[in-house]
Amino acid sequence: MQKSIKFILDGEKVKISINHPYHGFTPTTTLLDFLRSQTKRKGVKEGCSQGDCGACTVVLAEPGEDGKLIYKAVNSCLVFLPMVHGKQVITIENLSIPGPSGLELHPVQQALLEHHGIQCGFCTPGMVMSLFVLFKNYSNPSLETVKDALTGNLCRCTGYQSIVQAALSACNQGSRDHFSIDEDRVVGILNDILENRDMLEINDDRQRYLKPFLLWSALKYLKMLPEATIFNGATDVALRQTQKGAFLKVLLDLSSVKELRYFREEEDRYRIGAGLTIEELKKATAGKLPAFHQMLQRFGSLQIRNLATLGGNLAGASPIGDTIPLLLAYKASVQLSTITASREIGIDKFLKGYHQTDLQPDELITEIVVPKTDGETKIAAYKVSKRNELDISTVSAAFRLKLKGNKVSEIILAFGGMAQLTIRAKKTERFVTGKVWSRSLVEGARHILDQEMTPISDARAEASFRISVAKNLLLKFYLENKSFNDTGKSELP
Amino acid sequence: MIPENPNYHSDYDHVTGQSVFLNDMATDDRLLIGKVIYSRHPHARIRSLEIKEALKVKGVHAILTAKDIPGENQMGTIIRDEPCLAGDTVTFIGQAIVLVAAEDEEALRQAEKLIAIEFEPMEPILDIETAMALNDLIAPERKIERGDVVSAMKNVRHHLSGTLKTGAQEHWYLETQSALAVPGEGREIRIYASSQSPTDTQAVVAGVLGLLKNQVEVEVRRIGGAFGGKETQGNHVAAWAALLANATHCPVKIILPRNDDQIMTGKRHRFLSTYEIGFDDDGMIQAYSVELNADAGSATDLTRAILERAMLHAENCYFIPHIRIVGRALRTNLPSNTAFRGFGGPQGMAVIENAIDRVARFLKKDAAEIRFLNFYQQQERNITPYGEEVANNHLSRIYQDILVSSDYLNRKKAIAQFNQENEFLKKGLALTPVKFGISFTTAFLNQAGALVNCYTDGSVMVNHGGTEMGQGLYTKILQIASSELGIPPAMIKVNATNTSKVPNTSPTAASSGSDINGMAVKNAIDILKSRLAGLKEKISPDKDLTFEELCKLAHENQVSLSAFGFYKTPGLSFNRETGKGHPFFYFSFGMAVSEVMVDTLTGSYTLLRSDIIQDVGDSINEAIDRGQTEGGFIQGVGWCTMEEIKWDKNGNLLTFSPDTYKIPTVNDIPPDFRITLSNVPHEGTIRQSKAVGEPPFMLGLSVWLAIKNAISATKNHETEPEFSLPATYEVILMAIEKLKD
Repeated sequence: MQKSIKFILDGEKVKISINHPYHGFTPTTTLLDFLRSQTKRKGVKEGCSQGDCGACTVVLAEPGEDGKLIYKAVNSCLVFLPMVHGKQVITIENLSIPGPSGLELHPVQQALLEHHGIQCGFCTPGMVMSLFVLFKNYSNPSLETVKDALTGNLCRCTGYQSIVQAALSACNQGSRDHFSIDEDRVVGILNDILENRDMLEINDDRQRYLKPFLLWSALKYLKMLPEATIFNGATDVALRQTQKGAFLKVLLDLSSVKELRYFREEEDRYRIGAGLTIEELKKATAGKLPAFHQMLQRFGSLQIRNLATLGGNLAGASPIGDTIPLLLAYKASVQLSTITASREIGIDKFLKGYHQTDLQPDELITEIVVPKTDGETKIAAYKVSKRNELDISTVSAAFRLKLKGNKVSEIILAFGGMAQLTIRAKKTERFVTGKVWSRSLVEGARHILDQEMTPISDARAEASFRISVAKNLLLKFYLENKSFNDTGKSELP
Repeated sequence: MIPENPNYHSDYDHVTGQSVFLNDMATDDRLLIGKVIYSRHPHARIRSLEIKEALKVKGVHAILTAKDIPGENQMGTIIRDEPCLAGDTVTFIGQAIVLVAAEDEEALRQAEKLIAIEFEPMEPILDIETAMALNDLIAPERKIERGDVVSAMKNVRHHLSGTLKTGAQEHWYLETQSALAVPGEGREIRIYASSQSPTDTQAVVAGVLGLLKNQVEVEVRRIGGAFGGKETQGNHVAAWAALLANATHCPVKIILPRNDDQIMTGKRHRFLSTYEIGFDDDGMIQAYSVELNADAGSATDLTRAILERAMLHAENCYFIPHIRIVGRALRTNLPSNTAFRGFGGPQGMAVIENAIDRVARFLKKDAAEIRFLNFYQQQERNITPYGEEVANNHLSRIYQDILVSSDYLNRKKAIAQFNQENEFLKKGLALTPVKFGISFTTAFLNQAGALVNCYTDGSVMVNHGGTEMGQGLYTKILQIASSELGIPPAMIKVNATNTSKVPNTSPTAASSGSDINGMAVKNAIDILKSRLAGLKEKISPDKDLTFEELCKLAHENQVSLSAFGFYKTPGLSFNRETGKGHPFFYFSFGMAVSEVMVDTLTGSYTLLRSDIIQDVGDSINEAIDRGQTEGGFIQGVGWCTMEEIKWDKNGNLLTFSPDTYKIPTVNDIPPDFRITLSNVPHEGTIRQSKAVGEPPFMLGLSVWLAIKNAISATKNHETEPEFSLPATYEVILMAIEKLKD
């Protein structure tokens, strides 16, 4: 059993034991609060504390398979301090280094200055950190990549244009910087920390935080502590603790269980580890599951996708979860495991109600199985939200269609945002099945759909809008798939 | 290190994370944190309020209610109708009732749970329609009128009438409302504020504490975004922190959590406007009558001035011979709405721009043509409804320029073609102009002071009354001081804005920051220069001296190296009773052409291209002016499109967090974004420059009307779509669906 959190800060190994009171930190102290509690590290800004603005963006680096560091931007307000165990934490304070005439700016800092990408300055440190990750991971990024890297950083002053220009100019000179020089040493320290795969347990007198490194260990403790709150990226669970007034007494952090992070292709299916981050999944699905890939491009921000996992998105069972309609359309199943057994259950059976699933207290979601489709099956996904990026769906939909001749032999119409849970429009599906796939059929189906759906009105939209969108998405799907000669891509607005 | 380039003045600190915002300030270990407990009822009597148990929580130092306020329970700076803490009744959800100071967040949380408040709910007014039915005005009705609208409307060939709703907008400054109060000797107190108006903050703090203003010092180093939201409402959090610091004799910091900030603070006023427009076959407008109804919220705040500016911009760029503008401000049980970039201007302009769009559709003409036809002219048709001449009018020139640079006519044709060929995707194009009056319409506010101190090593400290909130004021001041003094920027420091250095200042608002403070700095430097020139003439007429040598010499010869400069904008007056006068020193002009593509099946749209020409005079700093133009425009686009504020039927804000309230991200800027600054020197202003803070905001209306143009294309521009602002995907789709019926 390990008792202290070990990570790298300012290039040096840091060891924190919360078990003994340490500056008032608790197991659920966020990385943001930890960093800002140090008087010399006020560059990390708090803008919203809920992962929406990116002002608190810092970078976590961890050794990859190839022994090189992988740099990831995260919202430090969504990261519990023990989650940084075995990682290098890089903040704005680390980017420039002392030189003969004051601080020597990092290329991304210099570019932001030269392109006047700064007004009030409050979003700037977070923006710089996102630019830094872009710099490390890309050479000559496309405009699309730049925008994706900056989606999670809100700026209310500039209109972003100058920041985009700075990004384009800074990231065309290779990724070498002073971090490159130090990389081997850092990897050495981190590997050293990570060599110890005993459970990390933080236990002050009010909260118990368990961080296993091995799946069996996670399952063993879950059996003993069925009341534990299970999480991986914590993008949702952190908000329960910090924003929604919950006090999480027992926490099981799966983010270091590497066995849950995989994407495997088999002859007739893909196997996705529940702990694979959404960003990793996004990359893995490219060219393999096009509709899935496309949906994931509009999932949260890069900072969120770097933390969030497919297992977490499923376990939340939100009626507006981005991935769930797609998993229904793909006829995916979920593998649920206990220490002694595991079972596979269809996604439709797994979902029980509003934020309710069939997951038992001692079970973990370990894998999601996505069957491959034959060339004659078309799957498409749509998301309509108030803002195109970094927003929760107002309505999401995923459709599956197979034609036999010109008739519908199979159809799945799955909708998010239209009910208490993600649902299939089964009446409409029945109406369509066996009939000729035509505009008039779809017009008829739209009427059935209208009667079948009873969405609510809320902050995002009125029910009438949701109904209209749902009906129109069906038409859109038809228009994009009148025949099957296209490239398998659907058009997202 | 102060880099040579004045642009990098603060940017260097920002980009390295070294700049100190309020929440980053070094404090001593006595620091307490403050929390504001607020009303969850829109309108209620407070039946009982129990804090005894909460006081027992370990780490809690003070819990204050209205009766603990030593001075006057008042935060209204102009109209005194806004209690600092609710007394017997609450009038909106988010109204402060109790203040708690404690050593840590945990103690605050515990205390909050133990504070018991019993309410007796009363009937709230939650929308403008209800307030209008009850005629619950918060200020006297106002009118600006010229000619005879009634008979002109009778005689004119065509007229159209309608209603337009424009929505509220949350400021969403990245730095939430923040203040740090540090008690000093006796009862004196120092406030570090995130306030656009340190002088008002000083007055409000002195008021609630029952102190003289000379016992309260307010300092504002920088603000992490304000946009009007910290013109008066930055005072509130300062007053709360001051009360707690005064009660505990400890420094107290309050940083509003994001969601509390969204719930508690006022927004851009939503308006419900009705209008009638009369015009001839060519589209020449003969008569325009408009009633602007503003949702003031529960207190007056700046509503009178905001409504006034809405009225003064109701005709935007157009000469209308017969015009009547009526303004009403209505009381509702919502947080008091407040200043927001444009300050009523956007709400006034949206109505006429939409009306002209209707005229064009009605006459089957191009809307830009109708706009051009009605523009203010140079020699005649150049007097506003309130009697001020539109001097130095650049409208026609900018119009001609942007038609060419945006390739307006060809693109219009291409769009028509595209719309013919596509059933479900429709494109829209719109050109909208802005004429924005520069000056506070409350004439006396157009004054500024500056204190310039030179030291014997030749270094200079500049103090002025303006605050830095990202608009680049300190950089412009540094440039002005450097060029007026003829010394490098590295020798000059622009100091944090402080009420003890420069007293009785006006808010940094109305786009006037560099105009008036820049002039005050110049005037101070002129005084110093004339003193130093006189000295040099006397002591060393033939030998050239460096600035440093000159300073040393002055000190040795008992000549003061400190000067106070003062500036007031000349020639301003406005009579509110008659609605006539000369409220503006000058007008700023701009135009935008925007093109959008709407997916008519989902209502979602993509902004494809925006061209902007913005008049900035002889720009002091083009990078800053360009940044203001871009940023203002995108903020305006946000107001016009995705930024939607919704309440439930009980007055609870539904969009109370960034989870549901969406401001533009990097993806929402047009991929083709062309900004041109029109650099025509303007006589009489500081270095012949012009204000730029607010005018570009209203260019966002081009996107709004481009969307409407695309919606209208679904019916071949034959039917007027139902439309409002913001044009969310929902508004767009529902308008399209309605056109289908």
